[in-house]
Amino acid sequence: MNRRNSFCDGVQRRDMLKIGAAGAMGFGVSLSQIMQQQAQAANRPAEDISFICVFLQGGLSTIDTWDMKPEAPAEFRGEFKPISTNVPGIQLCEHLPLLSKEMDKLALVRSFGHSNSGHGPADHFMLTGYHPTAGFNGSLKPNNQKPSHGSVIARELGPRGSVPPYVCLPKMHNSAGASYLGSSAAPFVVEADPNAPNFAVPDLAPPLDVSASRLGNRQQLLKRVDRFQKAQEVEANRTAKTLSTFQQKAFDLMTSEATKSAFDIEKEPEKLRDEYGRHSLGQSCLMSRRLVEAGVRCVMLDHTNWDTHYNNFNVLKNDLLPHLDSALSTMLRDLEERGMLETTLLLITGEFGRTPRVNIHAGRDHWGPSSAIAMAGAGIRGGTVVGASNARAERPETKPIGPADLAATVYHCMGIDPKTEYKTVEGRPIPIVPGDGSVIKELF
Amino acid sequence: MNRLRQISLITGLLTGCWLLAGGLAIRSDAAEEPLWQKVVVDPPRVQLAGRDAMIQLLVQGQTKDGQWVDLTQVAHYQSGAKKVVTVSERGMILSRADGETSLEVAVAGRVFQIPVTVSGFSGYGSLNFENQIIPIFSKFGCNASGCHGKAEGQNGFKLSVFGFDPAVDHQALTMQSRGRRLFFGAPTKSLLLRKVSGITPHGGGTLIASDSPEYRLLKTWISSGAPLGSDKDPTLVGIQVEPSSRQLMMHKSQQLRVTSEWSDGSRRDVTAMATYQTNKESLATVDKQGHVSIGQVPGTVAVMASYLGAVAVFQAVVPRSEPITDYPTLPENNFVDHHVHQQLQELGIIPAGNCSDGDFLRRAFVDLIGTLPTAAEARSFLTDQHPDRRSHLVKQLLKRPEYADYWALKWADTLRVERLKLGRKNAYSYYRWIHNSFLQNKPFDQFARELVTAEGPLSELPAGLFYKAVGSPKDWASTVSQVFLGVRIECAQCHHHPFDRWSQQDYYGMEAFFTQVKFKQTSRGEAIVAEGSPKTTHPRTGKEVFAHPLATALPIENPTGDRRTVLAEWMTGAKNPWFAHNVANRMWAHLMGRGLVEPVDDFRLTNPPSNPALLDALAQYLVQHDYDLHALIEVIMSSQTYQRSTAVNDTNRSDEDNYSRFLFKRMDAEVLLDAICQVTGVGEKFAGIPEGSRAIQLWDSAVPHYFLKTFGRPVRVTACTCERAVDPTVGQVLHILNAPGIQGKLSHVGGQVSRLVAKHRDSATLVEELYLMMYSRFPTDEERKNGINYLKNQPNRQLAAEDLCWSMMNSIEFVFNH
Repeated sequence: MNRRNSFCDGVQRRDMLKIGAAGAMGFGVSLSQIMQQQAQAANRPAEDISFICVFLQGGLSTIDTWDMKPEAPAEFRGEFKPISTNVPGIQLCEHLPLLSKEMDKLALVRSFGHSNSGHGPADHFMLTGYHPTAGFNGSLKPNNQKPSHGSVIARELGPRGSVPPYVCLPKMHNSAGASYLGSSAAPFVVEADPNAPNFAVPDLAPPLDVSASRLGNRQQLLKRVDRFQKAQEVEANRTAKTLSTFQQKAFDLMTSEATKSAFDIEKEPEKLRDEYGRHSLGQSCLMSRRLVEAGVRCVMLDHTNWDTHYNNFNVLKNDLLPHLDSALSTMLRDLEERGMLETTLLLITGEFGRTPRVNIHAGRDHWGPSSAIAMAGAGIRGGTVVGASNARAERPETKPIGPADLAATVYHCMGIDPKTEYKTVEGRPIPIVPGDGSVIKELF
Repeated sequence: MNRLRQISLITGLLTGCWLLAGGLAIRSDAAEEPLWQKVVVDPPRVQLAGRDAMIQLLVQGQTKDGQWVDLTQVAHYQSGAKKVVTVSERGMILSRADGETSLEVAVAGRVFQIPVTVSGFSGYGSLNFENQIIPIFSKFGCNASGCHGKAEGQNGFKLSVFGFDPAVDHQALTMQSRGRRLFFGAPTKSLLLRKVSGITPHGGGTLIASDSPEYRLLKTWISSGAPLGSDKDPTLVGIQVEPSSRQLMMHKSQQLRVTSEWSDGSRRDVTAMATYQTNKESLATVDKQGHVSIGQVPGTVAVMASYLGAVAVFQAVVPRSEPITDYPTLPENNFVDHHVHQQLQELGIIPAGNCSDGDFLRRAFVDLIGTLPTAAEARSFLTDQHPDRRSHLVKQLLKRPEYADYWALKWADTLRVERLKLGRKNAYSYYRWIHNSFLQNKPFDQFARELVTAEGPLSELPAGLFYKAVGSPKDWASTVSQVFLGVRIECAQCHHHPFDRWSQQDYYGMEAFFTQVKFKQTSRGEAIVAEGSPKTTHPRTGKEVFAHPLATALPIENPTGDRRTVLAEWMTGAKNPWFAHNVANRMWAHLMGRGLVEPVDDFRLTNPPSNPALLDALAQYLVQHDYDLHALIEVIMSSQTYQRSTAVNDTNRSDEDNYSRFLFKRMDAEVLLDAICQVTGVGEKFAGIPEGSRAIQLWDSAVPHYFLKTFGRPVRVTACTCERAVDPTVGQVLHILNAPGIQGKLSHVGGQVSRLVAKHRDSATLVEELYLMMYSRFPTDEERKNGINYLKNQPNRQLAAEDLCWSMMNSIEFVFNH
């Protein structure tokens, strides 16, 4: 049990929920059974780690940010200058001034790379550890041939309290699905932008024209009207029982203070909200922290627009990097101040890097073979740089590290054995990490 | 003396644990049951040939009432001369030297003397890598997909998965790693032996003790120069498992014996070298030596034994533990009930009774036409006194246009009507072909033939769009096989199917039927043609594989003309072992909520039907009725089995496999959405689809719709029925509870609730109408009273009616077909 994370304590949460449920809605009996299961699942010894993945979809230009090459010829190094950070010897982009003051919390893997430079397959590769095979259709949602990191975490560790174990924000990435792990490992998708003025999770609250007292009436009615609700038949039928359990869970979600308050971003001080940044990325990072605090095990934050084929430098400098800078630097500081950094694994990555040579549109194109990823928390040594790319960031100079290693590292941090296997619907056993993946030990 | 008889690979005592696992517990059980009518030791005399030859004895007792019980683990064994043979506590005999002796078997107060002869112990004879060495790798999991068998190997050493490519494995052992793996002159110094015996650290652990028969065989094989063997060596014909079936009581066990048969006519016990797997862990487990232990769930279970790619199955029926002395006489409407009841009686399960008319009405509507009955339809049926009202209803439903809508939707999933891939025009015409086929109740064999043999302009032959929806000869072969035969062959593209008999030759034999298919631009637009004589080669042997159907012999040439016509004829022929079974099983699964073979598209030797006699009878019925799906539907729906209630009793509580009660089925996404629209009287609009269309009429599964997406509409990228998700999620529940759109339908001024409230001033009538509309039944007295009270106590009658309707819509009775 970790002393800092008030929500990994099943008992506390259970008490709080009862109060919240009974108080708010006059409802909340028989929560205890579900909560007991949840408490058991949550009752994991040692550290109870959460995972926030900040996915910069389109592909962050890492040669312009994490792994600058000031010595390379102009057509490679681009127009940005490196600046010093609070870790001697590590430099970041001049447009990440706030983050450079938090470098001591962040680790960079600069020898990262993989074999695919197409959006769909590379996404799948990064988010599952597996390169897709024949028949992959990236435009499907979900397109997973293998389960995403979040689904494996949800399946392995289960929910922690009344909040769902795996949440996607502010939309679901196509490769964030559960594949053969089934719907119970699928993400709870928040199709809404926390930066929007009227942000609310769809369907989580009753429609505005249904008052609280009316909802109470309805719930009472539902208990009476359903001849199967408590019948033995339902107990003996798997799907009917699941629905009945989920209905209970849905009421928990709706009535639980933990959930309500987690999604109520208005509760954050204005000043902190400003520091994260009043933009989708900033408020989504803040929301991710709130969700983890409330017990969510994995938040998959999908942020788009990083596909800078055109006008790379202006787009980065004027728009994307300032957002990234405020959001990440504040999140790192905030997590640390709350004592959550040690129990929260943070990953910042795109699906690939971008071409080292600047193209004729002052942009950079897709580049799978070499990129850098950033990680923090959960035992990772801040201020670490693992590996190096070559002089023009075209390929790893040291031992290449890839998506399979990343998956192994994520699971390792979460306390999940990377050798765990699950069976596909055909009964074929597939390990959660491909055979060639190994934990990036240099990070710890 | 036959060469193969001289050799034998066995594992004597791998570990000690199994002795405790089964033996002791069963010993005490047997003591309680002293009265055996007969006790048999098999074989009655033993002849072992060769070094480390072995045989599993089976000791069986027959009780007074004719029941066979396995006593193999209970018997005490003693070898007359341990220098000649040893025997394990579980009756496994191992040769030690040439000679004769006898074996004493003491069991159930009797003593048997089994004469034993060992000959030819001096050697293994000529050695064959595939026949003798690969089984060792399979038994110890060395070539499994999680170890050296995976695509990239393990720590630099790669074997073909499940040993499907002996030549490559032999090369990996003898040639790679600078020859360090095998030292012919000093076999025990070989990396292979050092690793498996744990002398050199091995990630996979210590697997084979240096005093075991496997170790001795590997050592001899290495010192003989690690021969690959010769083409003249016998090949495996098949394996046999004994016993093949049994009724087994809970907590009992059964020892299996597996015997291999070779092309030279020889037979050899491979019980210790086979690998075992059960199809239902909850019913039975099996250990590495073929000892099956029954758990505490009644039902039928299959245990597969596999050896060198050959498979055989042991089937067990596990009755409930409490015998039913006065099993009731159950009414039988037709052959369906006969077969189901027979099995239920064997299992000691008493089924639920007949369902109410209201349940039958709703069930029949939802199952057949994907539509809820209206309140008026419900009232009319519920007040109908005619004895044939149920069968009459089924006949009426089969004539309704929604029947074709609903079944076209189902088959459009399986046959992959994908707008994104086919384009709008093609997807629609492909869908129309499916829809028309169901509208006309086209015989299903004709439906399959039209699709498989489609040739000509696509605009005239929309069935040919299947070939556009699915990509390549390989995909066509595996999809046709999965959809129409229920057989999954894709595993065999790369290696021998691990749980079935399919080899790469079978796979490429099926592919060869489709390699002539091409698309051409003609004056009548794009056309599908089958022409030329393309060759298909076996990826490993490089030999040509001619087109031939599954489980038939490799012919000497390809069929002339369009090869697909040969396939279609074979497929839809009366003797085809899968086609009719597959269709019957799919229909059965849809109506009953669970296939006789489950999953429905996974017919395998090792996944036998839960009630083989019933599936045979259904398939036969379909063939006799010329693949008339309506006839099949009518016979199923008129059975007592289909008309069971969902009620649970002490005997059927844990049974979900044998149709002892009706299973709850969550309504499909489209059906549920339509149901919500129907009861609220407010329809849904779909982008790009004519207004007024219902969800079950959507031919395009990519029409964006939050409800349909949330409730698991399939995306149609595979032929697997598993794409349609039926497992509930929290998001689904939240959506019906809270979605403003659904509340909007409930409170719509022109909606059904408003209409009913305006029309029925009397609360009792209003409540009754709501129950008929939502649940297709009259309310009980208590429900009526509660409803009236609620309407009375709420200040606003409209809001109160909405609340009633809302709570019913969120109930299990509404969301599930039951």
